[in-house]
Amino acid sequence: MLVDELKSIVGTSGWTSDPDELLPHLTEWRDVFHGETLLMVSPGSTEQVSAVIRACAAGNTAVVPQGGNTGLCGGAIPDQTGQQVLLSLSRMNAIRCVSPNDFSMIVEAGCILADVQAAARQAARFFPLSLAAEGTCQIGGNLSTNAGGINVLRYGNARDQVLGLEVVLADGTIWNGLRGLRKDTAGYDIKHLFIGSEGTLGVITAANLRLYPEVRESQTAMIAVNSPQHAVDLLVELRGSLADQLQAFELIPSRAIRYLRRHMSALRMPFTDDYPWYVLLESSLGDDAQTLESALAAALEKRLGVDAVVAKNVSEQEGLWRIRHSISEVQKFEGVSLKHDVSVPLGKIGAFIEAAEAAVLKLMPDARIVAFGHIGDGNVHFNISQPKSWEGDRFREKAASLSNVVYEIVSSLQGSISAEHGIGQLKRELLKQYRGEEEIAVMKSIKAALDPGNILNPGKVL
Amino acid sequence: MERVLVGLKRVVDYNVRVRIRSDGSGVETDGVKMSINPFDEIALEEALRMKERGEANEVVVVSIGGSECQQQLRTGLAMGADRAILVETAESVNPLTGARIFLELIKREAAELVLLGKQAIDDDNNQTGQMLAALWGRPQATFASRIELNGSTAKVTREVDVGLETIEVDLPAVITTDLRLNEPRYVKLPDIMKAKKKPLDQIPVADLAVESAASITAVTFEPPEQRQKGIIVKDVAELVAALKDKGLV
Ligand SMILES: Cc1cc2nc3c(=O)[nH]c(=O)nc-3n(C[C@H](O)[C@H](O)[C@H](O)COP(=O)(O)OP(=O)(O)OC[C@H]3O[C@@H](n4cnc5c(N)ncnc54)[C@H](O)[C@@H]3O)c2cc1C
Repeated sequence: MLVDELKSIVGTSGWTSDPDELLPHLTEWRDVFHGETLLMVSPGSTEQVSAVIRACAAGNTAVVPQGGNTGLCGGAIPDQTGQQVLLSLSRMNAIRCVSPNDFSMIVEAGCILADVQAAARQAARFFPLSLAAEGTCQIGGNLSTNAGGINVLRYGNARDQVLGLEVVLADGTIWNGLRGLRKDTAGYDIKHLFIGSEGTLGVITAANLRLYPEVRESQTAMIAVNSPQHAVDLLVELRGSLADQLQAFELIPSRAIRYLRRHMSALRMPFTDDYPWYVLLESSLGDDAQTLESALAAALEKRLGVDAVVAKNVSEQEGLWRIRHSISEVQKFEGVSLKHDVSVPLGKIGAFIEAAEAAVLKLMPDARIVAFGHIGDGNVHFNISQPKSWEGDRFREKAASLSNVVYEIVSSLQGSISAEHGIGQLKRELLKQYRGEEEIAVMKSIKAALDPGNILNPGKVL
Repeated sequence: MERVLVGLKRVVDYNVRVRIRSDGSGVETDGVKMSINPFDEIALEEALRMKERGEANEVVVVSIGGSECQQQLRTGLAMGADRAILVETAESVNPLTGARIFLELIKREAAELVLLGKQAIDDDNNQTGQMLAALWGRPQATFASRIELNGSTAKVTREVDVGLETIEVDLPAVITTDLRLNEPRYVKLPDIMKAKKKPLDQIPVADLAVESAASITAVTFEPPEQRQKGIIVKDVAELVAALKDKGLV
């Protein structure tokens, strides 16, 4: 029996079928997808992962890898047949080694992102990947979704942080590619196939990550602006005057601030007046604390912003970021929220938000749009809260038509229907719709080559 | 009241993990975020609110230290202080010397109220306000969590070990502030720019002719012993065994 074999591979502390323990692993953050599972296994080593995969391959049984289960597209949730094995990486959470002089560290896939950051900090190094779910999500999940987050502007996304990977392939083979080279042109760079593949091509068990010198001091500012286009113009201006110092640049709409005032009143707001839009930025300190201040002053003079606050200590910096990081959460209090994690070329952000807002409001005048996010990367979370007085289901029925107009505009601007959250089971149809046939065909042949039995996270992405 | 004096000490930011210099000569401040001592920021916020209510005409912020303290004074000016004074010294200043310096400034400025943080988070002395009141021969109200001015007196709620105590002091007086007194404001960029033009007087400490009370010399600094990681024991028997093993019972 496969189940017995799996149990003996991982040992007593490595599996569960207890419904209470399984519950948080079979539902997800947005409560959209619910799954069932044959058994949840939590291997304690790469060899155990390998044995699990080999057994599942022999038994022709599907495996769904799961990290912190914070993914937003249902990628880590098994289907409802109860025949898929859920493979949790949580117990593989060792920091294998930190090499400050190589500016790198090797960590296991199940390490919580915040712990990875802390281990780097402990060695006076900086690991830049950072997102609101960092206290829960795991590095393996981040890499498998090629997560973005708030520091992409300066440091790139998850993919850019990887020097090497250790992966268990679909037949159970362990590929140790933890080399950690900064330059390596020997053949295809196959680690990049696994990054962003959402568990459909292999199970990531460890990664060699790139570290940076510690950013000792940084400044945080929040700027009130009149429109998303002004925010983009401000970004262009500041990238000129601050160059490499600009680390994060986030857009916040006034509706998000109103939601926060309503539901998270303990958060302190920096402005007493209401403005239509805000930018939250983080800048590392150059030679002089005044650089950011004068750069911002020049920008305000040019009317790119209306007002601005600069945090005067770290507590205030954290307070401003808490505002940004609470936006995902607070939307839950306002009923059903329809999410679109999209990207367009940077210069088209203003045009996109304007056009998408107009199109959505034309279809549903009472829809409440919350467009926010990493606009420094051309990435907007174009979310729509249900009209206040509606029943959630009535709104859900209309969701597809709203999403359609949003994605059509994204597509017309040469954007992407998934900027950083991935495809999972949520966006499979959209992927087919918006990526050319030839591109999908290449994806399919890669999948067939690496997972001919289709046992790795079937039904996701493709 | 004509003038409130507020002390602003430059300290390693509250959220920064403090490190000892490798040669043990002190705490690492190179490339470390420095901020206004949080209690002092609260003192300034309170003074500004007094001014905004029309209870004080002028708020003057004071810092004692090197020229780098101008940064904190400028922040104070951006929050809304009218003027700043930097008493320049390269020496480290202990509470008694600090109190003597403030006493000189009180005389020069004819201040009627001095608002200080209850302590600075770098050395945690909690002495300067009390010493100043004694040298000045005026009342003190420490650990304030609420201040109400009524003409020539101030009613102050103090955070004491057993709860809250409310006292009334005659002005002029020294009041030191506790955490719950208020929440300091964010500073706006236009105010930061304006603050660059506000007056900031630099006075060499020698000009004040105060006697330096340098009585303590720091010999060396060491980090505290690292706490050992906890272990989880299965039952009482294992606990007792572990304690015995360590020679603790
Ligand atoms: C509040 C909140 C804020 C967020 N903010 C951002 C953001 O700013 N930027 C961003 O990019 N994303 C963001 N996300 C979504 C983001 O994708 C996830 O938070 C994170 O990257 C996923 O990590 P996880 O460990 O939770 O993965 P999971 O959700 O467990 O899994 C995600 C996918 O990866 C696969 N997977 C997981 N681990 C492995 C492994 N070891 N090997 C192979 N496949 C694996 C799963 O099968 C699944 O397909 C946010 C989510 C939340 C809840």
